Amino acid sequence: MRRAFLCLFASVLLAAGMPQRVVSQALGTDELLLALADRGQIAALSHLATDPKFSPVVQEAAAYPRLKDSDAESVLRHRPDLVLMASYTRAETRALLQRSGVRVVVLERFDTFEDLCANARIVGEALGRRARAEQVVAAWRARVDALAARLKRAAPVRVIAPSTYGFLAGRDTTFDDVCRHAGAHNVAAEAGLQGHAPTPSEAMLGWRIDALVISDDERGDIAGRLAELPPYKFLAATKAKRFVRISGPAMASISQARLDAYEQLARALHPERFR
Amino acid sequence: MIAARKLHVEGRLAEVSLELPTGCLAAVLGPNGAGKSTLLQALAGLLPAEGEVAWRGEDLRRIPYLERARILAWVGQESHADFGFPVREVVAQGRFAYGDDGRGVDEALAAFDLAHLADRAVTRLSGGERRRVFLARALATGAPLQLWDEPTSHLDVRHGLEVLELANGLKAKGATVLMSLHDLRAAQCFDRVLVLHKGACVGSGAPEAVLTPELLLEVFGVRARRDADLILELPR
Amino acid sequence: MSGRGLALLLALLALALLAALVFGEVRLAPGEIWDVLNGHGDATARTILLDFRLPRALVAMAVGAALACSGVLMQSFFRNPLASPGLLGVSSGGALGAVLAFAFGWASTSLWALPLASIAGAFLATVAVIALAREGASTEHLLLAGVALNALFGAGTSFVLTLKAGHFEEGGQILFWLMGGLESRTWEHVWISLPGVVLACLLVLPSARALNLLAMGEQGAQSLGVNVRRLRWELILLSTVLTALATAVGGVVGFVGLIVPHLLRLAFGPDHRRLLPLSMLGGAAFVLACDLVARTMPGQLRLGVVTALAGGPFFLWMLKRGGRS
Repeated sequence: MRRAFLCLFASVLLAAGMPQRVVSQALGTDELLLALADRGQIAALSHLATDPKFSPVVQEAAAYPRLKDSDAESVLRHRPDLVLMASYTRAETRALLQRSGVRVVVLERFDTFEDLCANARIVGEALGRRARAEQVVAAWRARVDALAARLKRAAPVRVIAPSTYGFLAGRDTTFDDVCRHAGAHNVAAEAGLQGHAPTPSEAMLGWRIDALVISDDERGDIAGRLAELPPYKFLAATKAKRFVRISGPAMASISQARLDAYEQLARALHPERFR
Repeated sequence: MIAARKLHVEGRLAEVSLELPTGCLAAVLGPNGAGKSTLLQALAGLLPAEGEVAWRGEDLRRIPYLERARILAWVGQESHADFGFPVREVVAQGRFAYGDDGRGVDEALAAFDLAHLADRAVTRLSGGERRRVFLARALATGAPLQLWDEPTSHLDVRHGLEVLELANGLKAKGATVLMSLHDLRAAQCFDRVLVLHKGACVGSGAPEAVLTPELLLEVFGVRARRDADLILELPR
Repeated sequence: MSGRGLALLLALLALALLAALVFGEVRLAPGEIWDVLNGHGDATARTILLDFRLPRALVAMAVGAALACSGVLMQSFFRNPLASPGLLGVSSGGALGAVLAFAFGWASTSLWALPLASIAGAFLATVAVIALAREGASTEHLLLAGVALNALFGAGTSFVLTLKAGHFEEGGQILFWLMGGLESRTWEHVWISLPGVVLACLLVLPSARALNLLAMGEQGAQSLGVNVRRLRWELILLSTVLTALATAVGGVVGFVGLIVPHLLRLAFGPDHRRLLPLSMLGGAAFVLACDLVARTMPGQLRLGVVTALAGGPFFLWMLKRGGRS
């Protein structure tokens, strides 16, 4: 009885103030949490937070506990008072966490830079760190504007993001957003592909492609494999080995690490603007 | 002529010997599980058996398959079919060892009253009709040694009698016909009977000498009584 | 009858091949195709026809002919019209072998490593089926053995792929090997499959007459002069190799070995002298047509899905009829 009372008391106190035990369930929310929260507020980061293959925040994340897995039980073990997740988390995990009574904030959109800024504000609000969120967003905007200034009136380079697994990034993908900020033109989006769409084979031969953007996280020699895989093997850009390598975690990021991808791609495609 | 010496299949056939001259109609008798089918299969070389089988003094089982198929024809007890070959094609299979020359196929069809069914799929026949198809196939081989496993089971009275008459006709042409039978009365008119009991041969010779009331009681568990009887035969 | 069936299927195959060359993502005018076939035409059209559509069509034909022929052989071996490489798990075994060859890097050492590994996997499956369900085995027995083996090999394939493949590739690779597909086929795949399939098909043909006898019963066939032991070895060897070659280049494509022989048996009778060549042609035309549907329909259907959509209901219908042809 007394214990129940104490619990109630504690939760009333916490609801009034800032969350003290925040768990981030996805990589994207890890980035935001690390950027916005006080050290003491972070209870745990996602299970991928220190995996160099996927995470852009390996070093910062090493100081914090991490989830064992991405499921609801792993999250609840840390007795969170706030859980940050992304909309691509499995629906049943979300439902379980929401039913358990924990406050859950779900980020829904990550397609554009404006989405990222909005997400930062949402998380800042939930953490009670509104001012810090505004600072962070302003800093990002400054970076993006600086990049845009450098690339002003640069002719966009025509690129695609090939994969060995039969899909291509079209419109409304993070790759499309990266292109827009890096002085590149996503040919797949121009050809009408929506989201991650199956790779067209014959039609691609008619596309004008200057370079192929690959992420450097994929194991093995992806450029070598593309050079043997139809339809890529028949593209002039492949034959001329015009591959551009971008950090995989940055390219796939749904948070601020994507700014690194903007800059990396811009540097690779427009080296003359960075002298 | 065929001679088998000490044919032995572990657990099924115990050192059975037999000798049949050319032009002979012989029956293998015995209750269920006595080893009749095993004996016929062993003679045909269809299952591994110890002992010897000689055809005209030659080791039958060392004769290559194709040549052996010109010497003996075997008809199994099962006449089940999974694939719907037409009757004529199945009967024509009897000529496999002769490069499918098709000789004697029509005669074999006629002999087993199958001419009107020649184009029907064997899967669409009754059990008895299918049995006749397999017998006709064996007949079409023209082999001088015919080994038939219960050829009359599933057959109606008339077709059963016809099979026996056909066997007699083959014998007259110099063939050796050995069949397993359950009909002890039909066996009375065979040249030779061989009685198997629990895998062993318990009697061999002319039917009237072998099928004594004592043997019938011991082997088949029936009491034999000669009496006025209903006789069924083919009309002349 | 035989000549008419052969002519009909040859015409169907030619039609399917023509369609496979003419239709695709990119619309090519008949004139352009004609130019390319005569050694002219512009580079893009040449690449599309000669490096995309032609090798893919040839691989489709090899896969179809191999699976249909293999189905006929397995049906003879088990004397059950429902036996076929997909249902018995032989395709899955071949896929596991191929995936292992990929995962451990043997596939890149030689052109032959992949088909050989696939053949080894398929043999493992064949041996298991034979051990579980002997010849003339009941349909239930065969199908249950197949269900178990398909599950087992499928799980093995998925496991190896999740263990070894790059993270982003897993999904696509598992899909390819478990559901079959002919996307991104190159001339290399043609050389892996087509010569072997043609050779095995030619080796099968002389046994057609003996297969007829075998179909009517094993002992009967032997008494009529068929060397049944040798014939059965040939059947196992050739049907497994054919399935493995098909699987090595196309993944698990189900139902071809079931539907094609069955339909042709219904139309032209069970005589293997007709059935074998007809099945090879029919299988090639069927897979070509299914692949055409798979690649031209919106939504990117997979070849294995198309054959299953065509074959699944058919199979259930056969099962209801008792599987007799």
